[in-house]
Amino acid sequence: MKFRKFALLAILVVAVLALSACGGGTETTGNTGNNGNTGDTDVPVVEGPTFDGMSLADAEAAGYVIVAPGEPVRIGASAALTGPIPEFGLDISQSYQLAVSDLNAAGGLMGHDYELDIQDGACDGDAATVVANGFAADPTILAVAGGTCTGETLGLQPILAEARIPHVSASATNPAVTSEDCDICNRVALSDKLQADVDAEYIFNTLGLTQAAVMHDNTDYGLGVATLFQAAFELLGGEVLSFDGVQVGDTDYRPVLTQVATNSPELIFFGGYYQEAALIVSQMQETGLEDSVFFSDDGVYGDAFVNTAGDMSEGVYASFVAGDEVAEANAEFDAKYVEMWGTTPDEQGPFHAQAYDSVQMIAAALASVAMEDDNGEGYLMFDREAVIAAVRATANLPGLAGVMTCNAIGDCGAGGIQIFQVQGGTFVQISGFGLD
Amino acid sequence: MEAEIKKNQTSVFSTISSLIKANFIRTFGIIVVLLLIWRILYVAGQTNYTPQYWISQLTNGLVLGGVYALIALGYTLVYGILFMINFAHGEVMMMGGFAGYFVLQAMTSLGWTNGTTGQSILSIVFMMLAGMLVSVLTAVLLERLAYRPLRSAPRLVPLISAIGASFFLQYSALRIFGATPHPYKKPTVISGILKFGDSGVAITYTGIFIFVTSIILMLALRLIVNRTKMGRAMRSVAEDKEIARLMGVDVDRVIVFTFVLGAALAGAGGVMFGLHNTIMRFNSGFIPGLKAFTAAVLGGIGNVTGAMFGALLLGLLEAFGPSALGMPTEYKDVIAFSVLVLVLIFRPTGLIGEVLSEKKA
Repeated sequence: MKFRKFALLAILVVAVLALSACGGGTETTGNTGNNGNTGDTDVPVVEGPTFDGMSLADAEAAGYVIVAPGEPVRIGASAALTGPIPEFGLDISQSYQLAVSDLNAAGGLMGHDYELDIQDGACDGDAATVVANGFAADPTILAVAGGTCTGETLGLQPILAEARIPHVSASATNPAVTSEDCDICNRVALSDKLQADVDAEYIFNTLGLTQAAVMHDNTDYGLGVATLFQAAFELLGGEVLSFDGVQVGDTDYRPVLTQVATNSPELIFFGGYYQEAALIVSQMQETGLEDSVFFSDDGVYGDAFVNTAGDMSEGVYASFVAGDEVAEANAEFDAKYVEMWGTTPDEQGPFHAQAYDSVQMIAAALASVAMEDDNGEGYLMFDREAVIAAVRATANLPGLAGVMTCNAIGDCGAGGIQIFQVQGGTFVQISGFGLD
Repeated sequence: MEAEIKKNQTSVFSTISSLIKANFIRTFGIIVVLLLIWRILYVAGQTNYTPQYWISQLTNGLVLGGVYALIALGYTLVYGILFMINFAHGEVMMMGGFAGYFVLQAMTSLGWTNGTTGQSILSIVFMMLAGMLVSVLTAVLLERLAYRPLRSAPRLVPLISAIGASFFLQYSALRIFGATPHPYKKPTVISGILKFGDSGVAITYTGIFIFVTSIILMLALRLIVNRTKMGRAMRSVAEDKEIARLMGVDVDRVIVFTFVLGAALAGAGGVMFGLHNTIMRFNSGFIPGLKAFTAAVLGGIGNVTGAMFGALLLGLLEAFGPSALGMPTEYKDVIAFSVLVLVLIFRPTGLIGEVLSEKKA
């Protein structure tokens, strides 16, 4: 009995080895095929479609993704539909869907429609690993749009990297999201390093405030922004009086604010998302911090913050990405968004332009490397490595947030970080393009 | 202390190993307490917080504790009668909070919240009533559908059912009300801050409102449990369900009434929570629910007075703990839960739980 099991195992091992050797073999033929040497010479006749002379079975065995006629080109998406910022996630996922519907209206990719597989990354690294494993197990997923949050994206990356699926995040801003070690990691969001520098510079030089209390929400994103801000602010000569974390999901921050107030800071810088920010802003009034300025990041920017904090939001600063020269495209996008979803994008969240752009970027990359079969039967073939390279090679691609060009580590974002302030119940841009 | 040690020694006389174990845990607990006292004194010498600071934190802690108390009472009531932890209780509070929110919206559109003092007070009363009503309905349905069919099942089964119910309510609320936080706009009577001269001590009217209302509701609950016929029936069911049934007590009715009482308090708590913290959201009940459960255990689960004291103590610990120990405020939960463990080492039945457990034994 034992022996039989061992024998079975041995056979399996041998079979696997044989198959992988076979895979390696076809890959080399595939490569020569790609060079076009065997395309029109006398190749043995094979049933079904061929790709530069490579048979369908060989291509699949070599790890190429084949899209059969009538089948869609599939893109995965991880959006924070639940978790601390579901509005942002919903806005982003709706923008993804709008982007795909625009792409399909424009003819799709060589007769194939694009199809989105949106999963809930929940703004959370653990949830993201489940999502990423789902994508990795699905051989039809060519690229992933997302994730929404930094922590979520960091959870997606190792699994997607192993499955050789490139991702483009619209809104993960922590510097750790892109690095030299990760060839599949890309984003159209701008790095928080830049954001923290711009914020610190604006606070120190323009507002003239030097005594800050820094707070954060203990998320990868919020703590990241807060830490970077502290470094940038101290480098400029500012003083950070206290550095406190709050808990996402808690609602009474009066004890910590009472403690922060003992140092009488001129300004509170908060790294985190809008709900906690809204609570802090309204509870500042009750804890002796009513004269301190509140300054936050792109997790706070947006109508959702103003609606939640109400009158207390007046005068609050937040930094966000803003581009120029794209007003017309954005107005067109807004109109389509309202038609499709019934609300304006700004009511939901701030990252719709980036989300739309990230899908466009993925689609452009896919279009640039899609290979049709030799007889024009409507098959498409994708080389995963080529897709990864093509996403990273994005250059001068016009988008809603500006012109996207990826640098060596996958930062593709357009526009720049600008400062906004709530004035009369809406965020108004007070620095940057067209204002200086 | 000596008497306690003696009692301990006699009770564990039978086996040496358990003696060592018990003494080890006690000794460990005493060392931790001494270390804590040393740390507090040391920090007190290092920092120079003003008396105003401590008074402000005291009010923060009491208000926080007041909210926990209203939820903790529901846990403790149900546990006292069914020996079941109703984990969906935080969500029952959330449903009440949403009902209050919609009444608030209606009242605001009528102009009542910012109208005369009478209108403003009336709108708060309506909100509370709506909150209590919806919470009660939710809890009664929950009892009927999720708990009653499992009453004869092992104790773990209704617990799992309760956790499921908690998620069901949470995500139903997410579907129905959306994920966006619903902002509570405070009616004029209770908006604003009470300042004590120039001392720097300030307390919100909502805070005072929560504290006073929660004390009144808790006293009312004590009266109901201790002085009414229904209260007597509740206590008898808590003592022994079968005997109570033989004595002619309608056990099902008593259990439903218990859920009603707990849910009414939670509904009021939900509205107050919304008024004080200005937002209500699908998961607003989750963390307060967990904290309230902790508070109930801290005070001695199954005991009404214990739940009150436990909740206030937990609120105070969260407010005072970090500054008293000179730790970052992120550690407030660590401190609160460490105190919970310490309390359970010395008093396994919670602070005021002993009376009840002796009666049951």
